[in-house]
Amino acid sequence: MSKISPVTGHYVDVDVDGLQYKVFYLENGTGQPLVCQHTAGCHNHQWRGLLEDEEITKDYRVIAYDLPRHGKSDPPENTEWWTEEYRLSADHYANFIVALVDALELENPIFMGSSFGGNIALQLALRRPDRFAGVIPVEGADYSPGFYLDWWQHPHANAAQVCASGVWDLMAPQSPDADRWKTWFYYSQGSEAFKGDLYFYSVDHDLREKLSEIDGDQCPVVMLTGDYDYLTTPGDSARTASQIRNAAFIEMKGIGHFPMSENHPVFRTYLIEALATLQSKARRLTPTS
Amino acid sequence: MTLSTTAPPIAEWVAALTEANNADPEISAHGKYFTCSYLLDMETHTFVVQLDRGKIVDIAVNPGPLDVAYQFAIKASADTWRNFGVRLPAPMYHGIWAASFQRDMKLEGDVLVLMQNLRCVTRQIELLRVVGVPV
Repeated sequence: MSKISPVTGHYVDVDVDGLQYKVFYLENGTGQPLVCQHTAGCHNHQWRGLLEDEEITKDYRVIAYDLPRHGKSDPPENTEWWTEEYRLSADHYANFIVALVDALELENPIFMGSSFGGNIALQLALRRPDRFAGVIPVEGADYSPGFYLDWWQHPHANAAQVCASGVWDLMAPQSPDADRWKTWFYYSQGSEAFKGDLYFYSVDHDLREKLSEIDGDQCPVVMLTGDYDYLTTPGDSARTASQIRNAAFIEMKGIGHFPMSENHPVFRTYLIEALATLQSKARRLTPTS
Repeated sequence: MTLSTTAPPIAEWVAALTEANNADPEISAHGKYFTCSYLLDMETHTFVVQLDRGKIVDIAVNPGPLDVAYQFAIKASADTWRNFGVRLPAPMYHGIWAASFQRDMKLEGDVLVLMQNLRCVTRQIELLRVVGVPV
């Protein structure tokens, strides 16, 4: 008998900042929406383990989308995007995610993203604490310079392999080979978007002077970072969380920058702890009637 | 992070790395164009590794200043390399990107050649977890 996954795929139209997108997302589960952003230059298969994790999908509607220009979400439908250099801005990235959760009519969604998804989680907590029940920045920090590199698109090198092997060391050596190689494979597919994504990650994203403005009471922040991440270290995330009201930081041991993709069995234990922490903070702050 | 290990004799290490590389399935499968030379500077010893179509054809030991040409260099302290040469390296000693961003490793010379061969070089450096380092 065939094994058919309960995960389903859909497309939704999203209009934002004058751009029209046809956005692909995978989903599974019922309950509070848990909206998941992949890392730069990648796509939603990074969340494959979570999407089929019954302990989480029994309580959460897990939605993992492809950001436009990634995976099955095309670039904008209504512009000659090929005539411009792609550079993702914090404004457009945040506006897109809000437009997406509006288009899906999600109530009280939790937003979780990794790497440049972790950084935008912090931006969302700052910009729209009213729209999200909480955020889980994974491998995120207030500032993450140094990765907006020309090497990702150098015409004299194999960009697919430079991107894929360039992020290889971001994973922990003890993560399973098969999952690390799947992650490598995903990265070999996304080199054109990778550098433009990293414009946000390493250039446009800078919350060093704004962390105290994040309303962590209205939108609790629980950060997760792995100890093998050389780009956003546990120290970077701990520093960031310490400056956000009502925030928490959990260091993940024996895992790296793509935790949900390189080793979901290890990541899930920390995620369950993060979700419990987030719900506890949210309950503590909900006025009793 | 200071690590105490017993370094293998240099001649044994040269033979072990050559054998490990030349028999490695991944490098054999993907190293058709892996032809280059690079300097491994381990502080107390230096080596120039010469590759031809994925196979190590020579490792020059402690070459003089103008003895052997190379295209790029991977340099770090002996202590950093010792941390690379264990079965399960600690965080930040698990790859040349990690150690370059967070420790004392330097990537120098014609880095484009490194990028052109990044997949195989990455695998080759990981073989140090098996054969150790001679410093």
